[in-house]
Amino acid sequence: MQTKRLLSVLLLAVTFVAGTGTALAADAKAESPKAVQAQQEIDKADKARKMAASVDSEWTTTGKLIKKAQAALKQGDYDTAIRLAKQAGEQGVIAYEQGASQKELRIPSYLKY
Amino acid sequence: MSVGQVIERICSEKRHIMKKTLIKMGALFLAGGVTLAAQATTPEEDRAAFTSHYKFRFTDVPVEEYANGAYAIDKIGRENWEAIEEFPPYEPFIDEGQEMWETPFANGKTYKDCFPDGPGVKGQYPRWDKKQGMVITLPLAINQCREANGEKALKYKKGPIVPLLAYMAFESRGQITNVVIPEDDPRAMEAYEAGKRFYFTRRGQLNFSCATCHVQNTGLKVRTEVLSMSVGHTTHWPVYRSKWGTAGTLHRRFSGCNNNIRAKALQAQGEQYRNLEYFLTYLSNGLALNGPGARK
Ligand code: HEC
Repeated sequence: MQTKRLLSVLLLAVTFVAGTGTALAADAKAESPKAVQAQQEIDKADKARKMAASVDSEWTTTGKLIKKAQAALKQGDYDTAIRLAKQAGEQGVIAYEQGASQKELRIPSYLKY
Repeated sequence: MSVGQVIERICSEKRHIMKKTLIKMGALFLAGGVTLAAQATTPEEDRAAFTSHYKFRFTDVPVEEYANGAYAIDKIGRENWEAIEEFPPYEPFIDEGQEMWETPFANGKTYKDCFPDGPGVKGQYPRWDKKQGMVITLPLAINQCREANGEKALKYKKGPIVPLLAYMAFESRGQITNVVIPEDDPRAMEAYEAGKRFYFTRRGQLNFSCATCHVQNTGLKVRTEVLSMSVGHTTHWPVYRSKWGTAGTLHRRFSGCNNNIRAKALQAQGEQYRNLEYFLTYLSNGLALNGPGARK
């Protein structure tokens, strides 16, 4: 029940973010293709971050990188924005893998039963 | 290399090197590491395995001492702690909590109406609630009581819930931890298993599980702190922490331990942390409650 509600909230959140993303991207397009790319990388990173969170595996570092990337984009420092967003996206992917691959309990061998 | 050194090293590395480390760590962990596929074990077997692991490491430390956390195994830390316990920093919280306990709600009812055996009821939590189908912890029960009486729920990590918990913990001193996993509801065992899985799941950029620090590396130092054993982790909450400059709850500590490995903390009193508390408290079955406590 609760999971369902959570899922729908998440879905809503994703739609919302994707929506603003496109709107922002449209604004940015008028400026430069690099700005568009930066926004796309940020959107990708945020999706990856949310994927990691969906398996309780988000890192504290990822959201911070995304915020920094957004700030860089705002200031017109597109290269920095792209670099940071890519880093965040990579983290999101690894963090998701980390969570998803441990769905099954594994007891470390140093604990003797 | 100690855990502290590992953390220190990772912290001090430049960003581009860190990225490489990260990818390596990812690869390492995808390769599986040194783990055994889970065999089905009973909670009693889990508790025995943890306890014998620590007994083997700290041969001359009696298990009852585990309730004192790192101070069971850290001589210098213990001296400071014993000095602090002479004028316990949590005392004002107990007094404030008693006042809260005795003050009626707007509807004239009191906490006593919700906790007829209270205030010393900490030994009854966490417990499986068949009707609600979930683990009920003491902080959650307190908020359910408040809400049933038209009062606002309190925050779970710090603030006014802490003195109330401190008073109830103080009144519960000496009760023996006795978490029960009822057999008439398979969901209770599922909750325990979920908590156990959480405990052994590697998280965060540092890719540590609770067990990495509190089982594998117990006794080693992280910066200035000696890593404690998980048996005894739940007996003494809430805790006045010098680092916090105030007292906080067990779930605040969970958040801190998650953040330290750069894993985003989950919601205090959310399902994951409650199940974790259920598992973790089971490990302390047989140990006397000694809250509230003081820690570095
Ligand atoms: C990077 C190592 C590390 C990891 C991983 C870690 N902790 Fe800790 N934890 C510490 C340190 C350091 C302390 C403070 C010293 C001590 O008591 O062990 C601590 C303290 C605690 C305490 C308080 C002990 C007391 O006596 O008051 C609890 C409870 C705890 N950890 C639970 C957990 C749980 C649950 C997890 C997994 C979610 C976890 N820790 C993961 C390092 C870690």
